[in-house]
Amino acid sequence: MKPIVIALKDLTRSFRSVFALVFMFGIPLMVTGMFYLMFGNMANTETGFDLPRTRVVIANLDEGNAQAGELGKMVVETLQGKDFSSLMDVSTVSDAGEARKMVDSQQAGVAIIIPADFSNSFTDSNAVAEIEVYKDPTLTIGPGIVQSVLNAFTDNFAGVKITVAQALKQAEAGQIEYAQINQILGQYMANIETNADPRQLLDLRAPAAAAPAKSLLLTIVSPIMAGMMIFYAYFTGVNTANSILLESEEGTLQRLFTTPTAKTEILGGKIIAVGLTVLVQVVTLIIASRLIFNIDWGALPSVILAATAIIISASAFGVFVCSLLKSTKQGGIVFGGVLTVTGMVGMMDIFTGNPNSTQFGIVPLFTPQGWASRSMLLSMQGASFEQILPYTLFLVVFSVAVFFIGVWRFQKRFA
Amino acid sequence: MQSALHVQNLHKTYRNGKTLKAVDGVSFDIQPGEIFSLLGPNGAGKTTTISMLSALLQPDADAKTDIAIMGYSLRSEARAAKALLGVVPQEIALYEDLSARENLDFWGKMYGLTGVELRKRVDEVLDLIGLTERAKDRVGKYSGGMKRRVNIGVALLHRPKVIYMDEPTVGIDPQSRRSILDGVVALKKQGMTVLYTTHYMEEAEELSDRIGIMDHGKMIATGTHGELIQMVGQKSRITMTVNTEGEKIIDGWRTAVGVSSITADDGKLTLLVDDSNQVLPRLFEIAAQRKIRITSVDIQEPNLESVFLHLTGRALRDA
Repeated sequence: MKPIVIALKDLTRSFRSVFALVFMFGIPLMVTGMFYLMFGNMANTETGFDLPRTRVVIANLDEGNAQAGELGKMVVETLQGKDFSSLMDVSTVSDAGEARKMVDSQQAGVAIIIPADFSNSFTDSNAVAEIEVYKDPTLTIGPGIVQSVLNAFTDNFAGVKITVAQALKQAEAGQIEYAQINQILGQYMANIETNADPRQLLDLRAPAAAAPAKSLLLTIVSPIMAGMMIFYAYFTGVNTANSILLESEEGTLQRLFTTPTAKTEILGGKIIAVGLTVLVQVVTLIIASRLIFNIDWGALPSVILAATAIIISASAFGVFVCSLLKSTKQGGIVFGGVLTVTGMVGMMDIFTGNPNSTQFGIVPLFTPQGWASRSMLLSMQGASFEQILPYTLFLVVFSVAVFFIGVWRFQKRFA
Repeated sequence: MQSALHVQNLHKTYRNGKTLKAVDGVSFDIQPGEIFSLLGPNGAGKTTTISMLSALLQPDADAKTDIAIMGYSLRSEARAAKALLGVVPQEIALYEDLSARENLDFWGKMYGLTGVELRKRVDEVLDLIGLTERAKDRVGKYSGGMKRRVNIGVALLHRPKVIYMDEPTVGIDPQSRRSILDGVVALKKQGMTVLYTTHYMEEAEELSDRIGIMDHGKMIATGTHGELIQMVGQKSRITMTVNTEGEKIIDGWRTAVGVSSITADDGKLTLLVDDSNQVLPRLFEIAAQRKIRITSVDIQEPNLESVFLHLTGRALRDA
């Protein structure tokens, strides 16, 4: 089992290299983590999204009324109540001009100016008192919510006003007692307060779906994690295969050739090491990202199929690319140039997060990374085994072809 | 008796723009238990020869070419031949990010050792090279001399019958060099056959049972130290100064047995003699009889340097 001994030796050397560990695990998880934190305020998995609280400043100039009381104060207290606390951050000022200034200087999003005769207009059927809503023109949702709440109030108040006017006519006609008007008014005021229910103003519902809705955060982060895993898996494949050239330069490969170990066993062991290293990397990243970021890679058969194709492809591509190199010094050009370019082209689907996107057409499919990313993105989108199979099959066939070219070149070199 | 190493008609030509014949018809045999030194200047073809004998390089195709280790052909019975062969390359060939024990463990497995036998043998070799205490340290942290010891230890793991050592003392301190030379002698005592390449004449003279001198890809002479010296008819050179005019002693010394010639130059007398050990007492006796005092004596024995110079027209150090 000399090939296995050689492979395990290479695996040990790979995982003792801090540089290799950072490239294989650190950078993919770190980059994904960065995006996770950047978009972390967007979404939770249950309601879909959170509205930011609107800063509301109220200038209550209402002087009150012996019959109606202080309706302006009632508006203020209701808006400051806990029922609206998740929607609004309410403060008060004594001056209308100051309230407007706060909106102009963007210290508040909406200013509500309750006029001095607000309560009076309630009991005077001929009087009209308007609540002024002064809003930041750059905001839409927040002021709209405040407007809706106020509309509900004023609609209630208008209803009360109409009722009181009718009650007065009836009282003048002797049909009811004047004292009953206060009772009617009190009942209506209580009704206004209980009907000031934010849940009746905003009813957030998600469309019914068979599967739970994915959070926006994961929708953004998941393809990035897939892209990072694939991008760096190919780097690992090439870097590990590069150890063949490195050992040749160190003299240990030649020393191996002086032992009673066949060259096929030696090269076989090196190639097994490439596959094992990429395997460990891919599996670790899938599990780690699942645990850390809660990324859903898809159904297990689909994930296994896509991951296997990626492992085979990254390893084979690594062997092929290294067989073209004459020395490790040329590795810099390969790592920095070839892998980065093919990786970026192959990752174009990641930018849309949609493997079915035609935004970049077939361009990503000119690289093995492109086929790999489509396979994995389809798995993440919930595609079936059969839907992923064509992409993975092509990837494996391509990999086998370049693998045999690489092995042939190495055998020729070390014949 | 079967040779430990049989080399016949070895050729190697490099064609890279211009044609270079690196090894040209080299043949020699090494008997079991012998230390055979391949002596020659840099570029003589020693390393190319060893590379072919290690199966790292293919010799030029020739039906007469044959390499056999303990009777096993390197071409047709490579695995069996390599199982009996240990190679100490000129450059350190170890995994510097593995410890000495891990290196020996790995290379032992490559030589087919396993299990308890492997563990025991690794411990023995670590003890032999004096690195038991540092066995768990990574080779990358070792000094140059320590790395060389591990480099040699790897070749000894499987108790080879034949061991190649390609210039093992290049670039190391005198103490480590001494240790390696003593180690080579110890290998011979254990019955190992050693093919030792060097461009240091002193090493070849000290270690070898037989020496092969190479230059420009050819084996120009092989034999024991004495045979090589005699081959070119070199005599010992004795240079003396005396406390009077040289002419007064020349006649007397000229007649001494074993003195081939005597010349006087600038107060110094130079004698060519067959054997300085035998002639020198006689010279002192004659001087005493004539009451002449010898104030300085310098003896230059014939050496491989002079052999090389005689055979190639160039000094070994200047080649």
